[in-house]
Amino acid sequence: MLSGDKNAKAGKHITQKAPMILAFIPIVVLAAMIIFLLSPYGQSLINTGIPLPQVTIEKVEFHENQILAFIRNTGPLEVVVSQADVNDRIQSAAVEPSSEIPRLGEAKVMIPFPWIPGTPYEIGITTSDGTRFSKSVEAAALAPSPDANQALLFTSLGVYVGVIPVMIGLMWYPYIRRISIGKYSFFLSLTAGLLVFLGIDALLEVNEIVNQNLAAVFNGQALSVLVTISSFVVLLYTSERLTQRAIERAVLNQNSHSLTSSSSVKELVKKPEKTFTQKQEGEIYSKSAKVSSSSSTQEVQIQMQRYQQLLKPLTISMMIAIGIGLHNFGEGLAIGAAMLLGEVALSTFLIVGFTLHNTTEGLAIVAPIAKIERSRRMMIRRLVMMGLIAGVPTIAGTWIGGFLYSPIAAVIFLSVGAGAIFQVVYSLISWISHHQKSGPSSSTFLSGHVIAGFITGLLIMYLTGLFV
Amino acid sequence: MPRHLLLIGLLTFIGTSIIVIGVISGVYKDFILNSSSDNSNTVISRSNNSDSSIGGHTPGYPIGDTSGTVIDPIEQVVDSQDSVVDPEKYLHEFNYGRVSTLPNGTTLREFTLVASDQLVKEVSPGVSYNVWTFNGTVPGPTIRATEGDIVRINFVNNGSMPHSLHTHGIHPAEMDGVFEMISPRGKFTYEFVAEPFGVFPYHCHMTPLEEHIAHGLYGVYIVDPKTPRPPADEMVMVMNGYDTDFDTENNFYTVNGIPYYYMHHPIQIEKDKPVRIYLVNMLEFDPLNNLHLHANMFNYYPSGTNLQPDELTDIVSLNQAERGIMEFEYKYPGKYMFHAHKTEFAEKGWMGTFFVNDKSTTTQNSSRIDNSPFYDTLNNSFVTRAPETDGGRL
Repeated sequence: MLSGDKNAKAGKHITQKAPMILAFIPIVVLAAMIIFLLSPYGQSLINTGIPLPQVTIEKVEFHENQILAFIRNTGPLEVVVSQADVNDRIQSAAVEPSSEIPRLGEAKVMIPFPWIPGTPYEIGITTSDGTRFSKSVEAAALAPSPDANQALLFTSLGVYVGVIPVMIGLMWYPYIRRISIGKYSFFLSLTAGLLVFLGIDALLEVNEIVNQNLAAVFNGQALSVLVTISSFVVLLYTSERLTQRAIERAVLNQNSHSLTSSSSVKELVKKPEKTFTQKQEGEIYSKSAKVSSSSSTQEVQIQMQRYQQLLKPLTISMMIAIGIGLHNFGEGLAIGAAMLLGEVALSTFLIVGFTLHNTTEGLAIVAPIAKIERSRRMMIRRLVMMGLIAGVPTIAGTWIGGFLYSPIAAVIFLSVGAGAIFQVVYSLISWISHHQKSGPSSSTFLSGHVIAGFITGLLIMYLTGLFV
Repeated sequence: MPRHLLLIGLLTFIGTSIIVIGVISGVYKDFILNSSSDNSNTVISRSNNSDSSIGGHTPGYPIGDTSGTVIDPIEQVVDSQDSVVDPEKYLHEFNYGRVSTLPNGTTLREFTLVASDQLVKEVSPGVSYNVWTFNGTVPGPTIRATEGDIVRINFVNNGSMPHSLHTHGIHPAEMDGVFEMISPRGKFTYEFVAEPFGVFPYHCHMTPLEEHIAHGLYGVYIVDPKTPRPPADEMVMVMNGYDTDFDTENNFYTVNGIPYYYMHHPIQIEKDKPVRIYLVNMLEFDPLNNLHLHANMFNYYPSGTNLQPDELTDIVSLNQAERGIMEFEYKYPGKYMFHAHKTEFAEKGWMGTFFVNDKSTTTQNSSRIDNSPFYDTLNNSFVTRAPETDGGRL
């Protein structure tokens, strides 16, 4: 039929060209609906309740003869701050930039006040409808001001707490290098235990910040889950990809003269890519061997396997260093913020606690690479670099935490750290299981060594954490 | 191949250093751009820049400078359009009603009180609150009669819920305003003989009682003795509070409706001239309120029902609805404070000042807020500059 034909043609035409327009139809309808809902008519339909103002005091700082409250409008409406008080007694104050705060906007309330160090205070803000919002401070302490002295103090603190302990931990390298396979898997799983503890610790810390300092409107727990999972997935992808590319390059460099086409190598490299991380290498080898029988490709595969043996632990160590670096950044944030918020009187005892705690982090970096055959000089250089990657962020953390504390930034940083640590734990476990299988004694993942190591790792972290 | 690992490390380092540099430059920029306000964090003297200054009501108290909004009920005046009451006017305003003489020679005083519960008024600078009012103000108008007069109050309920008028004093049961509720749009005429002489509160007596009183449905009713009290500079003072966040605790305490009002508008009185204050405590939620007068003593007449003072004191404590008359005169010129000696109330708005003028030496000063010390140590004499009265401001 002619008309049917036409219809069919028209239909075909639509399937080819219309999708762009079709994609916009729901968006246009959605926009129309939002406009309707926001219009006075729509608002009168749905606004049955009375919207209440909500102000969150995110941070209180004590400066000389002055208290600063950093507030955020976390309610559904614009608010006007009309009054400030200290311990429920009205005080003269100023709001910068303005007492009118738009939704989710921030403001700084300055209250001239002769506060007394070590005394608890409650800072209150009253909005134009007479609602009062308050925040308590356990003990007032002079806020660090961003000057050279403070920066130096924070830096040295970061060095003591972050860099030096990690470096000390690295000194286990020669010992771990010489121990038996059984003991080695003990230390690998101990590392996994340490890291699992750190990851959970970071999430608990996030939860605490969310409950104490972050406005409910940010939905901190959900944000933390989102960031943790995203960082886990992204870092997992990145590390796999980096190992893969490193192997690829290495093989190419070695065989550039013996091979005519580099694409065949790439193909070969790509095929077993997915199986590398989880399956035993022997299997990969046999599977790959079936793909091609030519002697040159077999050579390539053997080399690849060698590099795999070499690079995988290096990557794991590097990822551990980065993960711990992110964690230590969070730790630095916590230390800096605690000093800023006057919640902690820093003592030598506390520094000793952090040092003990962080020394184990050095061990975590050392363990995976201890068994690789490399020249000692190169290894030391690499170790020092990874130690710095793990330790130095502590310094940056103390600065940011001490000078520019923001609960939302703290939640994000700590969650990224948690995701990074869990990624490392994942790589480490797959590495341990690989190691177990290739080892002569045991064939299962959960050997006595592994379990003992894992639990010891958790215990060490818990016990050294008691000092902090 | 180790290059790639080096690269990761390098990138991490670069990333970290970018963060660090960003932080440093951010802090630095902040510091440079806001240097004026940052410096003021520690500066305890007024700077001469265009920023406004905050604090400094009390000598030695820290002062700050700001480019932002100053929120300061101790210095700021409530917007005249939205103010819950004009304390300047309220202080001296006595309503004697529409006066007529009945055939038997008795004086009839007619008043009209309109109850309302819909107004949103400014109770402290920038803070609005749904007040329930008699004739649109908190406290309501002061009603005054002489012992033996007939008081007729035409009560109109302009609100959205039942209200009534309960007056303290002696009167028949049906004039007590407790069991006869006046519905919205309803009217009622209360009529009774003014007795005995004294000072009384009046208020709404509908339930929930606490709600009706705490929102502002109250005022003062004065009955003068047949032989008038000696002439004096008379004023009325009602001590009250506002619970603006409904947690059954007052957020503000005041005398005559606006916190701190008489701090920036001192009550002008004259040296050696008798002052008489009709004082009523209408505070809800807190069990006790008081008034302490500085640098002076006053004669106190509890409930104002006696012509002989009970005691000479400088403080009187009053429970809910308790009241009395204070009489005093100042011997020396200058600025004197009066406030609740319950310091919490004082620091939440219940404080004020008298400015005692010495007519022989008074010079006027144009500054509204007088921050100078009370005693001029250089000239070894009291500072007698009087702040501008600013009566027309509200």
